[in-house]
Amino acid sequence: MSSVGGVAARLNAPRPALVETTGGGEPRLVNRELVTVVREEWRVVDRWWTEEPVDRRYFEVVLESGRNVCVYRDGERRCWFTQRA
Amino acid sequence: MIACLLIPGFELRAALRSRPRLAVVPAALAPEPGREQLVGPVTAAAEAAGVTAGMRLGEALATCPQLVLVDPDPAGAEREWEGVLRRLEDAGFGVEPVEPGVVVFETTGVERLYGGVEAALRKALASVGPAWDPRAGAGGRRFVALAAATVARPGQAVIVEGREEQSFLEPLPLSLLPIDEGRYAELEGLGVRTLGSLASLPGGAVSERLGPEGKRAWSLARGGERRRVRGRSPAAELAEALSFPEAVANELTLRRAFGALLDRLLARPERERRPFRKLALAARLVGGGSWRRTVTLREATAERGRLRSALGPKLTEIPAPVVELRLEAVELAEHAGQQLALLAPEGEETDALLREGLRQVRASAGGGAVGAVVEVAPWSRIPETRAMVVPRDVR
Repeated sequence: MSSVGGVAARLNAPRPALVETTGGGEPRLVNRELVTVVREEWRVVDRWWTEEPVDRRYFEVVLESGRNVCVYRDGERRCWFTQRA
Repeated sequence: MIACLLIPGFELRAALRSRPRLAVVPAALAPEPGREQLVGPVTAAAEAAGVTAGMRLGEALATCPQLVLVDPDPAGAEREWEGVLRRLEDAGFGVEPVEPGVVVFETTGVERLYGGVEAALRKALASVGPAWDPRAGAGGRRFVALAAATVARPGQAVIVEGREEQSFLEPLPLSLLPIDEGRYAELEGLGVRTLGSLASLPGGAVSERLGPEGKRAWSLARGGERRRVRGRSPAAELAEALSFPEAVANELTLRRAFGALLDRLLARPERERRPFRKLALAARLVGGGSWRRTVTLREATAERGRLRSALGPKLTEIPAPVVELRLEAVELAEHAGQQLALLAPEGEETDALLREGLRQVRASAGGGAVGAVVEVAPWSRIPETRAMVVPRDVR
């Protein structure tokens, strides 16, 4: 039987972000834009029983331009990503 | 003549294709989940250790503690079997598959091409390939051909001429007959141990004592009926598959993926608007196994709702998380016509407009441009696992 190989792709995959932080680890600059307010902060720790554990510290921030952005620091990979929460 | 090609323990051989080292150790095909706990075909090493096909699982493990149980791979076996049939068809044989591992065909049409029955059988064995250890038999009737293939050694062809049929069948064991264990015991209790001794009994008495099943066995012991082989029609080459980035176990996700596959299958132009008569739903499972269910529709249809309700419930039977879901059109109806509804179903106009819009997008941006967002785990705390984009074709 022939098959048309369809591969489902992830939606809302995280993208790497350039983030500078304050001393407390909160974002100060996101992609070279100043953060005016941190609206919310939460943590997601999941799948610790697998080989791909998830340890993320999310921040919903408002940038100087007025845009709302969601970024997180990946505790496993020790880098920052942006993603719609 | 009618020929039979036999590959004993086909399902096990197919499952061992990806794990060839297990072929030389005691191994058996594990029972399917939810079925009776009997082992399937066994390897030669397992047989030497005392394990036989159809043995209770507990007894098999007690007999041979180092027995390796191989997970059944029905989808893989079906794919391999289709490959065997195609190779035979490519060699010019009109095949009629009986079950995975057993196929019958007429040699009359190809005898002149290959130079006789024996040469034709050698060609059939060669086209299947020595890796499968195929055996061939030929005779004037199907059962004789099957019996001849059963006694043949791997790679050998046994031909039974018409006048030798009865003497060939006489010493063979009753295990060749398709009757249940209880009947064997009953026949053995009566002192009937070979086909010859069964065939020599009066047909009426056998029928009275053993019922229709016994009568059929008696008829087969005398060579069986002369029924012509009907070569199969080429299988429809219509299938859609969807691989998941990670194994999926929840029913909702599988139902949505199935819906997307159904839409894509319905949109395939090769279907030429013909409705489906038989469909197969298959899944590749995490850990290497597979699962497959075939559904024959009472009435051929291409209605999405009816197809969903016929196949959807099968998704709950999948025994393990799925890494790939596949929907195959096994058989299409010949007709394309359909009775029109008196009133158009609600929303049909909007649906038509939407489809037209999507067709335009596809025409301008290419085949892969249209996708559907399928929510797979909306409750997940990890945003990227909540939804997927599934490629979708539009009719």
